[in-house]
Formats: sequence, structure tokens, C-alpha cells
Amino acid sequence: MLLILARRALTAVPILFVVSLMLFVALRVLPVDPAAMSMPPSATLAEIDAMRSQMGLDRPLLEQYGIWLNQAAHGDFGQSLHLRRPVLRLVADTLPATIELAVAAMLVASALGVGGGLALFALRGRRAELAAESATTVLMSVPEFLWALLFIFVFGVLLQALPFTGRLDASLPRPDITGFLLLDAVLVGRVDVLWSALAHLVLPAAALGLAFAPPIVRVLRSSLLDVYHDDYIRQARLRGLSEGRILCRHALKNAALPMLTLMGVQFGFLFGGSLLVEVIYSYPGLGNLMVDAVRNADLPIIQMVGLTYCVLVLAINTLVDGLYVVLNPKLRRR
Amino acid sequence: MGGISRRGMLGGAAAIVAPWPGLTSAVRADTRDSVTIGWPSDVPSWDPNERFTPDAQSLFKMVYDQPLDQDAQLKLVPKLITKWELAADGRTLSGEMRDDVTFHDGSKMTSADLKWTFFDRIKAGHKVDTANVWKRVTTFDTPTPASFVMHFDSPFATSPNWLGFLGSYVVPKDYMEKVGVDGFLAKPIGSGPFKIVDYQLNTRVVLERNEAYWGPKPRLRRVVIEIIKDPSARVAAIQSGAVDLVVNVPVREVTRLGAIPGLTGQLTPITRVILLQCRNDLGFADENVRLAASHAIDKVALSKAFYAGAAVPLSVPATPGSPGFVADYTFAYDPELSKQLLAKSGFSLDKPAKLKMATFNGQFPSDYDIARAIVQMWKKVGIDAELEVVEYAKYFELNRGAKLPEVTLYTFDNATGDPEIYSGYLLNPKLPFSAWKGMDIGQKVIDLFTVADNAKRIAGYRDLAKEAVETGASIPLLQSVQTSVRKKDLSYTAFGNGWVLPQDMEWS
Repeated sequence: MLLILARRALTAVPILFVVSLMLFVALRVLPVDPAAMSMPPSATLAEIDAMRSQMGLDRPLLEQYGIWLNQAAHGDFGQSLHLRRPVLRLVADTLPATIELAVAAMLVASALGVGGGLALFALRGRRAELAAESATTVLMSVPEFLWALLFIFVFGVLLQALPFTGRLDASLPRPDITGFLLLDAVLVGRVDVLWSALAHLVLPAAALGLAFAPPIVRVLRSSLLDVYHDDYIRQARLRGLSEGRILCRHALKNAALPMLTLMGVQFGFLFGGSLLVEVIYSYPGLGNLMVDAVRNADLPIIQMVGLTYCVLVLAINTLVDGLYVVLNPKLRRR
Repeated sequence: MGGISRRGMLGGAAAIVAPWPGLTSAVRADTRDSVTIGWPSDVPSWDPNERFTPDAQSLFKMVYDQPLDQDAQLKLVPKLITKWELAADGRTLSGEMRDDVTFHDGSKMTSADLKWTFFDRIKAGHKVDTANVWKRVTTFDTPTPASFVMHFDSPFATSPNWLGFLGSYVVPKDYMEKVGVDGFLAKPIGSGPFKIVDYQLNTRVVLERNEAYWGPKPRLRRVVIEIIKDPSARVAAIQSGAVDLVVNVPVREVTRLGAIPGLTGQLTPITRVILLQCRNDLGFADENVRLAASHAIDKVALSKAFYAGAAVPLSVPATPGSPGFVADYTFAYDPELSKQLLAKSGFSLDKPAKLKMATFNGQFPSDYDIARAIVQMWKKVGIDAELEVVEYAKYFELNRGAKLPEVTLYTFDNATGDPEIYSGYLLNPKLPFSAWKGMDIGQKVIDLFTVADNAKRIAGYRDLAKEAVETGASIPLLQSVQTSVRKKDLSYTAFGNGWVLPQDMEWS
């Protein structure tokens, strides 16, 4: 396990380097002038030229990248053009909210995905199977932002049961220790804050989770169908084991591996999916920050968020690889 | 039998959430001495001199004060400055200020704070956008703690207007010097009627009444600003009762929500103009084509289709009631005349004039749809326009690089109502707002910037506005409206420049 982590950490360095270079070049070749974007609209051409020189934008692209890399190595990832604050601090302030949302959404997606997969598998060969399959197709075709709006309409407007703006009720004090609000609420021992934070998390997490659940349903069902053709399932039946025991003790464990791979990939996509959901729910996360950055052509933020996504995906892949080792004894012996 | 009825579905959903105590109360707006407002955007910075947008003005005005203010009819009125006088040559502005103003930390405001805001911190190299206006100050004298004299490098007739416009908010010198700009951003203090209690980027601002406020004390003790960027979510927020007031919701929603008992919708014409910014070259080098394009647009139809008829059709780039508006002048909607003008230049329905048009998509209500409607109107007279979408943030850069197409659907906000900040900014070829670079009109604008005599200046801008329209240098369309929906028992003052100020709100 430690070896895997060490190997992953080593491979992460060149990957990050390549991604940062690609991001840097891609953003610089866009027809956007960071110097002009950082100035007020009434700035003169001379003032913009002076700013361009001050920002080093008149130097060769590779030299610019070298300067950026050197500064990044010292923890300086630049300033937001629009907000004029260090992008590292902006990302650090908003990332915990997005991670919290993504984890909650993944829990929703996993619960629905595994439950749905098992249900679909149980319906195999029956009349209801076609209807259930059609239902997952319908669910899969609804994007997360549509779920977000639908949930607001049903649970926010019609039932007025759940909050749909922000992370916490405005009347409650906001603990700010780690940035992970659920954890902070526990750390300060405020049940009311924890309850409110959970209530605010329900709708965005459900919207994101529901959009990502159908592929898990499909993959789990398909894996189970494959696994049930294997000899050990037949032998288990011959030994007189119950269908429930066969499913839980033998089939599910083996069928979980492809599902785990999918969930790892999806967890990365969840961060991308959070962009619109965060805007709709006024959720103060990375996605909300990114949408504004794109709108304002705020290249340093876009670059930093891009790198952050890359780090997150690498971290998730490492975690999934570790789980593979835990679940698959063959890999442990290698 | 069978099937799921809507009532059944809702009942089922209610059963799911009903056992969760405390959740239902979480979506209600606060009590009667507070207000919760659904606002469409966050402030770019809590240093009001540093970075600002028109939408941020209402938020800044809760926390900070400006030297001069505007009443609901946009008349310039005293605020921190009680008396002011612009010298006849427009190069010196002197005045007296209040001596009873304190900042939120209890420190007293003096003319030193005024000097710090409009002179010292700019000279000190603080990256503040107000520098682009106030860099014209050459010396700033403070003869007494309650008086000041500003000297400009050139006639600055609109300097009093600028003291009540955009980022011109007075910040505390001693506090800022003590904690630095970063410290100030972490804990901003002003002298305004509310203090910031909690702020979370892109989500929420919580403010409480400044009990030591020097001016009329707000009736509301607490204000919560929910930053809700998505228009559908803002509509849901007011409909669910989660907020007490929302602005910038789609026009059709104002009508729908206004019909719900307990809510009222309002369309307020504001100082924001919607117009077509024209180039003086490419397909628009020909005046006949420009004028044909202008005459072919049915502005009344645009207003009816996209603003429920509330947006006032404009013939000049200034809003009704503002000094630069020309009340007795109308530029006709005349598609037949458009065809004749195009024919003079050799164009017809069979051989249309071809050009490109840029538009934003989502920058202001129905922008893209308006652009599409104009393209259709042009098609009927013999102008074939290709539509392209650009980001608002890139307008200035594209304009500086001469990369805008012939015509761009644009919106321009001028809370002061002064014609220099309408026609002057929109047609000054030296400024990045103007796509028109022709010096025939351009030189006249540049000359007007240096006129100190106010009456002469206003008359000049009126003539200029008419000339620009009659030569096709400017194609004004509509006066924009601010949409708002609020709880019926919440009253507020509708400002002609779109400000929404909790200090003027009260529950009945």
C-alpha cells in the first residue's frame, strides 16, 4: 500500500508539471490580454502596456512559464485579475466546500447506484426489467443542473422544506476552523450548526449524486451478470448456499471492482459537475469561483483551479488503487 | 386507479421531509426588524476604491459613505460634504464636510480621510480603480479638518458627480495605514449605516445597523444579502419566502410573481441604456447603411416583446429626465426609408448589405434575444447580419484591438445621469467604451470634456447626441428597467439609478 502511494506521488510530479505547462500555454494563446483584464475599463493603452510589461507578458512564453513555475514553487500562484487577491488563498478558501459537497454527492450516488444496481439485477429476466432499464436511461439523460432546479422547485418552493442558498442558516454563527463546515460544527460542538449545514447540503448533494448514480447502477448490474456466469457461483449453489449469501459474500465483492473504477473516475467528474450546481445553490465552492473566473477571463484563477482539479483526480486515483489492493488479494501478493 | 397524481407526489414528498424538525424554519426569511435580499452578484472587493461594478453600489452604500449623494430623482445632494463649489475654470473644487461623522471603529472622519481616499493612496501606488478618475488631482489641500480644496490638471466639470459615483467612497486613513490593505479587506470598516458582521465570497453578506450612524438611523436592525446568481434560483427564493426582495428577475416572472398574494412586482426604468455601439469603418463605413440599420429597428416592439413595454424607446443615448436627454426629438422607425437608403448605396433585399453583429448572452435581460430580433428586422430591409456572442469582460479588449464587428449590442450604466458619462464616454474615440473612432464626432466629444461652463457643456452634449444619431454613429435602443419582486408589506425607495438600499426600507 505504501509502495503504491510512493509510486503515485512520484508519477504525480511529472504529470502536474505537464498539466501546468499545458494549462499555461493554452491560457496564454487564448485571445485574452491579462493586463487589460486587470485594469479598469477606462485605462489607457499606455497604462495597459505598462501593466503588460510589469506582469512580464511581453517576454517569450517559455520565459513567462519559467517565472510562473519559480513563483509557484515558492507558493505564489499569482493574483486574481478581477478580485485582486492571491489565487492560492481563494482556492484554499473555497476548496473545502466543494470537497464536502463532492463527498456527500458521492455518498448519494453510491447509495443509489448500489441499491439501484442490485434492484435491477434482481429484476433480470422479469417483465419489470425493461421498465427499470428505461428508468435508468431517463435518469441518466437528466443533467445535474436540471435536477438542481427541479429540487429547488419541489423542496424549496412547493414544500418549503429545505434551504437552497448557501451552506448555513444566516442566523447561525459560521465556525471557520478547517473550512469543512460539518467538521467545524462538530469541533465547536454546535449541533444546530451541524444540523443546518446538513440541511443545506441535502439538495445540492442529491442533485449531483442523482445525476451520477445511473452509470453505477448499469455497471454494477452488468458486472453481476458477468460474475454469475463464473464457476464459483455455480459451485456455491451446488454447495447449497442461499442466493442472498451468494450475492453478498461472493458475487458482490468481485462485481464491485469495475464499479469502484467507475466511481473513481466519476468522483473526478463530480468536481466538474459541481460548477453549475454550486452557482444555482449559491454554494461558496470552487465551481462558483470558476464560473466567475471564466466569465471575467480571470486566467490565474482558471489555471489554479485547473491544477487543483488535476491534484484531486490524482489523489482520487491513488485512493482507488489502494482500495483495489484491499479488495483484491491477488494484487496484494504482487 | 393507479398513476401518481401531482397532489399525491407532493404529499409523498412532504411526508419525507416532515419528520425533519427545524428544516422548514430554515427556509424562511427573518423577522420584522430585518430583511433578506436576493442579490445577483457579489462585490469584487470590499475595498470600494479598488474594484467596483454598478451592481456593487447598493452593497457599498450600506457600509460606506460617499462625499456626495443622489436622491431618488438623481439630483446631487450633500452627504459627507455639506457645501461644494467648482471654480469657473473647472480646475478647483473646494468644499466643507461634516464634523460629526465617525467610522465603525469609533474614529472620527476628517478631511484627512478624504485626502487619503482621493489623493494619498493613489499617489502611494495602491491598485485602486478610482485612480483612473482621481489621478487628475494635482494637489489636495485640507485647510481645516472639515474643509478641503482639490486642484485638477485640467477642467473637471463632472468632479462633483464623480464624488457620488462608482468607487468614490471614503475609507479610514488611520485604520488602513495601521492594518494595511489586506487587513482592511479582512475586516473592512466604513462610516455607513450598516456594519459587516459576516461575509462569505459568492454566498452571503450579513450586516447589522450602525447604532452610532451620524445620519438617519435605518429602521431595520439586520440585513442579509444572499448572493443568488442564478435567475431561476432568485425567483424560487422570493416565491418560497426565503428572501424578502429580489432584483433582476426575468420580466415575465415579475408579472407572474406579482400576481401571487403577498408579493408585488415592480419594473423601474433606470439610468442604464441599451444601444448599438457602431464602428465607423468596415460595413458601417457607409452612412446610408448605418442610418438604414437604425431606421429599421422597431424599438417599441422590442420593449413590448422583452420588457413588457416598460423599457422606454430612446432616440438619443441618454435616459429621460437626465440633463442630456432631448425630449422633443424623435428618430423615426421607418423601414421604407431604410430600404431607400440602402438602395442609394446599391443594396436591396436581393443584394443585402452584409455585416457582423456582436452581442452578449446573459449580461443583461434578454440581450441575445434582442440581438436576434434586430437581425430579423434588418433582414426585412436588406441587411444581412451575422450574429456572434462575446463575453462582456472582453468587450474593452476587443475594442482596443479593433476586433469588434461593425455593431455591438451594448449596455451602459450611468448612475449620475450626466451626459459626459453617456454620450461623452460612449463616443470618445480615446476611451475604450467607444467603438466609434471617427474624429468628426470624436473631436467634438474630446472638446466637450474640457468645457467648464455647465450650461454650455450640457447644450453641447445634447447637440452632439442628436448629431451622432443622425449620422448613425450611435443607435440608441431602450432605457433599461430594473426588475424587482418583494413582499407586499416591505416598502423601499426605487432609485432612478437602480440602487436598492435597505437603509430606506421598512415593514408596514
